[in-house]
Amino acid sequence: MSTPTPPTKPPLLEVRNLSLSFHQQEQVAIDRVSFSITAGSTLGLVGASGAGKSSIARAIMRLIKPDSGEILFKGKNIFMMNSQQMMATRQRMQLVFQEPFTSLSPRRTIEQSLLEPLQHFAIGDTNSRQEKTRQIIQTVGLDHDVLRRYPHQLSSGQQQRIAIARALITSPDLLIADEAVASLDVSIQAQIIQLIQSLQEELGITLLFISHDLAVIRQIANDVAVMYQGQLLEQSPADTFFSKPNHPYSKTLLSFTNNKAPTSLPVENWRLDRGRTTAETTSNCVFARSCQVKMPICDQLEPASHQIQYRNQHPLGPHYVKCHLYEEVNTNDT
Amino acid sequence: MSCHALKVNDLSVWFETDSGRRQVVDHISFSINAGESTGLVGESGCGKTMTALAILGLLPTSGVGVSAASIEINGKDISSLNAAQRRAVLGRDIAMIFQQPGTALDPVFTIGHQISAVYRRHFGGSKKHLWQIMLDSLEAVGFSRAEKIASAYPHQLSGGMRQLAMIAMATVCNPVVIIADESTTALDNSTKSLILKQLERLQLQHKTAILLISHDLAMVRQSCRNVLVMYCGRLLERTDCQSLYSHAQHPYSAGLLSCIPQVSANRPPRISAIPGQVPSATDLPSGCHFAPRCIRVKPQCQQSVPHFDSEDDRAVACFRPLS
Repeated sequence: MSTPTPPTKPPLLEVRNLSLSFHQQEQVAIDRVSFSITAGSTLGLVGASGAGKSSIARAIMRLIKPDSGEILFKGKNIFMMNSQQMMATRQRMQLVFQEPFTSLSPRRTIEQSLLEPLQHFAIGDTNSRQEKTRQIIQTVGLDHDVLRRYPHQLSSGQQQRIAIARALITSPDLLIADEAVASLDVSIQAQIIQLIQSLQEELGITLLFISHDLAVIRQIANDVAVMYQGQLLEQSPADTFFSKPNHPYSKTLLSFTNNKAPTSLPVENWRLDRGRTTAETTSNCVFARSCQVKMPICDQLEPASHQIQYRNQHPLGPHYVKCHLYEEVNTNDT
Repeated sequence: MSCHALKVNDLSVWFETDSGRRQVVDHISFSINAGESTGLVGESGCGKTMTALAILGLLPTSGVGVSAASIEINGKDISSLNAAQRRAVLGRDIAMIFQQPGTALDPVFTIGHQISAVYRRHFGGSKKHLWQIMLDSLEAVGFSRAEKIASAYPHQLSGGMRQLAMIAMATVCNPVVIIADESTTALDNSTKSLILKQLERLQLQHKTAILLISHDLAMVRQSCRNVLVMYCGRLLERTDCQSLYSHAQHPYSAGLLSCIPQVSANRPPRISAIPGQVPSATDLPSGCHFAPRCIRVKPQCQQSVPHFDSEDDRAVACFRPLS
């Protein structure tokens, strides 16, 4: 408790300077994003629709190729791997999608769907595979008889449990949950959050939890990263973030969760900007247009990501903010 | 009391199947005053959408049975109208905002065309007049460049913009009642808040009564005065929002409330969930339908159905309500 040793655990996943544009739509999806996740912890990635959260998830799974940047999984760059190495790595990381129904094959029984990853990665023999499906179905809190059913015979909560079971069956080190509870009822959502929490305790799994809902993030995450138009604007330990958010955008996001909508914001401002086009330069702050505390410099110069220095308290981890407001604070402190 | 904007009296909906009737809405009654919002909450599969579709008369006629003593809008019964009479009411007196604006809007017509078609159907008018009415309704929901939105096709708009366009379409005739069925569920928080704000503003202007259907109690709290809690086709609790959040009486309402994750500076305690799931309409438990999942269950709950007083302002259908 009293020893403020810096975290010595190596990060399980490290994303360095990742950039991605969809050239056909001329849209910037990810813009120089860097973050890392320590083994066994949970990073909550928040942001509005279209901020680039899912693109990051896809890039980590190497389902899409970024323009530049590196993704290191256990210290190895996944983009330098050959297909054999990548296959071995994929087994160690799994993705759970938003819509459980569309991510399960309607023509396969639950058992077939669960067996598939094991067959694909050639794990175990026929008997041990079946044994494993039985185990995993219990782990996610379902009964054995769902194995014989088809996805349409299950409720959405059960389907999402199956999707999680399917992701866990290869015993991955990293689980990416992309809005995994967003389409569920509050009651089912609470059940799935409980499930994810207990699974993490049991299995020590590392989690990248993507959500637009800060309340859900608060339940699950150790660290929070805030994304806006492809950029990470703030990154900090969850306790720091929720008690003292620094970036104006983080503050705006938090104010929405307390059920207060800004009355003055014209619709067009927040609606029509569906991401940035590649033609737009990045010589300003991406949030400047909607920022309440904008300064002249925000339109001229893109802020760098500053690490906030703490004098009195031992931070739970580094706290980065990409905003001109905090430049001075930083220089004063150091 | 004839001042209710919407008064639903003893509404039931059932499916006819080979194995008999499956009751999905079970004798429910409620009313909403002009200018007020009432939330209808419950988990998926509780009959919320069925209630809405039955009120509007949009359920298919084969395989589905609907019965109601009366469904009144401003005192006028619409439960026994024929198809043509009903078309004259829908959109003008009562309108609905659906959950998926992407599928509720027609992809081959512009937004402007679709909105003005609603108005033309009921009131007619010159092209120029219709165009102006349509632009006004778009501006009323918060679009500052209404002309641009009017000439856009649904796929050119984002989810939130489509939902606002839907609201513009629902409000173009200034209906007495609007039913919003999970209309902000698919949107992110900031968009959700702004849409609710717009809806509220329109409601203030036109004294519209709104039935807001949602599983999200946090959202209902934000914008409703009264709330109805529904489970397996029955109403379990009716109260004003304030009392529901401070002291819910039905264990199910309390369970739903405890499921909502909270944003707090300190790390919140583990979230609690209602165990189990909504039973299917084929094998509803006897007695109180919620009994198998209820933490306060006692033998009586499985044998008889608790009474729900449909006249009182506050009512709860439970033998052991939380006080």
